[in-house]
Amino acid sequence: MTDDARPATAQRGHLWVPAVLLAIAAVLVFDPVPFSSPVPAATEVPAWATDTTPVRRPTLEPRYAAAGFEYRCSDCHAILPSPVETDRVLTQHTEIELKHGINTRCFNCHHRTNRDAFVDDLGHEIPWNQPQLLCAKCHGPVYRDWQHGAHGRTNGFWDTTRGEQSRRKCIECHDPHQPPFPPMRPAPPPRTLRMGHQGYEKSHGVTDPLQLHVVGGADGASEEEH
Amino acid sequence: MASGDGSQSNAAPELTRRGFLTKGAAAVAGVSAVAAALSPLRHLDPDDVPSIEKFLQAHYKEMITEDKERVLARIRKAVERRHGVTPNVSDPPPLDGVEFVYGLNISRCIGCRKCVHACVQENNQSRAPELQYIRVLEMEKGSIDLETAEHHYDSAQVPNPDKYYMPVQCHQCKEPPCVKVCPVEATWQEPDGITVIDYDWCIGCRYCEAACPYWARRFNFAKSEIPDGALNPDMAYLSNRPRDKGVMEKCTYCLQRTRTGRLPACLEVCPTGSRKFGNVLDPDSEIAYIIKHKRVYVLKEDVGTLPRFFYYFDERGSRYHEPIAPVEQGDAT
Repeated sequence: MTDDARPATAQRGHLWVPAVLLAIAAVLVFDPVPFSSPVPAATEVPAWATDTTPVRRPTLEPRYAAAGFEYRCSDCHAILPSPVETDRVLTQHTEIELKHGINTRCFNCHHRTNRDAFVDDLGHEIPWNQPQLLCAKCHGPVYRDWQHGAHGRTNGFWDTTRGEQSRRKCIECHDPHQPPFPPMRPAPPPRTLRMGHQGYEKSHGVTDPLQLHVVGGADGASEEEH
Repeated sequence: MASGDGSQSNAAPELTRRGFLTKGAAAVAGVSAVAAALSPLRHLDPDDVPSIEKFLQAHYKEMITEDKERVLARIRKAVERRHGVTPNVSDPPPLDGVEFVYGLNISRCIGCRKCVHACVQENNQSRAPELQYIRVLEMEKGSIDLETAEHHYDSAQVPNPDKYYMPVQCHQCKEPPCVKVCPVEATWQEPDGITVIDYDWCIGCRYCEAACPYWARRFNFAKSEIPDGALNPDMAYLSNRPRDKGVMEKCTYCLQRTRTGRLPACLEVCPTGSRKFGNVLDPDSEIAYIIKHKRVYVLKEDVGTLPRFFYYFDERGSRYHEPIAPVEQGDAT
């Protein structure tokens, strides 16, 4: 009896091995818990973020558009000379908002008699397409840097023997009537993999990635409070 | 057991129903287990398996011209298969008498981050997971403490008047710690100053990432994802050809552009003209003027890496964030 029973129980006892193997195999083959990647989907980068078009593209010609027509400045100013005093209520060019620091007089830059030109310190004309000579009257250090390429936008080729290099003049980036560079919307921030809590917008100013999980844990509570 | 029974020991083992089922079940389970253990291979990408050619490829510096031609042809074919685009793969050599140096005007940078995305587009970085060479740090005014810097800022408008912006990328050091730590010489400094990586030689140990004081190196943790039509087909072996999973990459000053005389992509897109690039060995170049005449700041100068990337400043009063207060009309005091 005992001799026959032992192998039977032994065989029955070993059945769990293939059963477990089968279960593991089933789990692995049918993949009921699929791998979920922690990688966030790619962010849509707006086209302007990689656009190399400059912020301004003035024509560098003394042209003025009004009432659907485009005039040379001298077209009007030759017939209708404007008063010398500029500290008065303007009847024309009211769309121009002059925010150029202490430079609040039109004739600091525009020529009194020839409106198709700018004016230099001696009252001589500066051609409209050479605005840097005008700006240099006050912005000496910047003009010096611009001449040497340390200021201003350069595009094209660094090696001018191989291709063309374009340099931009002052008013091709700065609005002469409001010269500070205009603020703009920043391109999307990085969403690179990092430690801790990923929802950065909810991190309440905590910038240390090692601390962000603490903030993440408190998120639900803080949202209920508000 | 009925031992000593001669007839039973000589005969073939008795095939019982129980024995058959047990052994059969064990055999099926064993085969299934092997199949299951191999099942992750179903997800194996053919691109993850190196071809014999690639496996036996020599180190970049040991390749002769014919080898390089063969390798470039292989890369061309791989890119065609994976992205459906016929690329223009080249290997531009460093130019004689040229040492590239970058200058960045912190007084003028407004932190718009356009450089970051222009770089990604030019250099075929992965979009998911995101991989970017440039970090634009938003810094506290009057501080150079990198601990308080923030590069995830997402304000409606930049510049924030209380901050200044300092983009950081590879500084192409003259004493590059990343090159010193590489155990397989997969990264080295070229004669024009650019530190490059042979992506086919890199083993992905990430020592260089740890060694870099500027956090300028990036690791491909996952297969890079580049949307259709976004691949830049002008690529070079040492710079912007598509990278495989498990290798390091970094800024190369866009060598596919700069070694053919063009300016880097980050510079071309900068709306403010804060970025300056050129050959420092040419005394008439913009960059030589900047280093000679402007006030220059070297990030982490104390670590002795001798970067080829210089931050510089303008005179006080000529910066965007310091508007001159207008004089009130008729104020006769």
